[in-house]
Amino acid sequence: MALDIKPTRSELINLKRRIKQTQNGYNLLKLKRDGLFHEFRMLLSEMIEAREGLVQTYREAVQGISLAGAIEGGLAVKSAAIAISNHPEVEVKPRNIMGVVVPSVEGSNLTSTIMDRGMGLIGGSAYIDEAADGYSKLIERIVKAAEMEATLKRLLVEIEATKRRVNALEFKVIPEMKEAQSFIQLRLEEMEREETFRLKRFKNK
Amino acid sequence: MEIAVVGTPEFTLGFQLAGVTHLYHPEGDEALADTMRNLLTQKDIGIVVLDSANLTLLSDRLRSRIADSITPTVLGIGTEEDNTLRESIKSALGVDLWK
Repeated sequence: MALDIKPTRSELINLKRRIKQTQNGYNLLKLKRDGLFHEFRMLLSEMIEAREGLVQTYREAVQGISLAGAIEGGLAVKSAAIAISNHPEVEVKPRNIMGVVVPSVEGSNLTSTIMDRGMGLIGGSAYIDEAADGYSKLIERIVKAAEMEATLKRLLVEIEATKRRVNALEFKVIPEMKEAQSFIQLRLEEMEREETFRLKRFKNK
Repeated sequence: MEIAVVGTPEFTLGFQLAGVTHLYHPEGDEALADTMRNLLTQKDIGIVVLDSANLTLLSDRLRSRIADSITPTVLGIGTEEDNTLRESIKSALGVDLWK
């Protein structure tokens, strides 16, 4: 590598200071990477559990709606679905994990009562109610899983970026600076030897 | 923000029963891809629920866009397992931690 640096004492002092700063930054970034990774691992195990629960709830909900369709008829289930007046909503708020802004998802109106379903107490069916309950439960789980998934994705992006920065500092920036430092030191020593030799020659004359 | 559900009418019926109003029934792979692209740009949608069997019908590019999207977050559910997050972890960290 061609070193385009001035072999002066002030440059050496500056370089030493910059190496120290870079090493501090490198240590901090390493701590951040490890912290993020720890957070990620904890969330990941929760996410795996949530995913398994989601699949199980989905199977139960599908079973419930199939049963309702078989007993009450597809048309009755469809008309019950059209009559419903309660609509689930989600609110996404920002949350901070070690400097990473992650979304915090909060659901509202996720579950509905028999009265919200617009069918009345007499006109309704227990099977359709059960199917609706199953899907309300599924939506609750979906909201939770969506929050965790979005958080994991953000953490993953940040871990990857931090990992790249740490690697760049460890294998490129710091070694290059150290190389420049040793180049200046060697050059200064050489200049000093030349100066001593010149003085000796001058003295002998 | 709302929840949107994409899939066959049979898949979305249960969600309609739970009160979800944003239901999409695309027919064919192209229509599915267009619907997903459209939903990814909508600001009022917080979560998109997709039949995980449909995820395999999408192109790799769109799948990676879905995997990276945070708002809306796309969740594949169904009897087939949704591996998008698992694949993202594998490509980002180089190890399969989903165990």
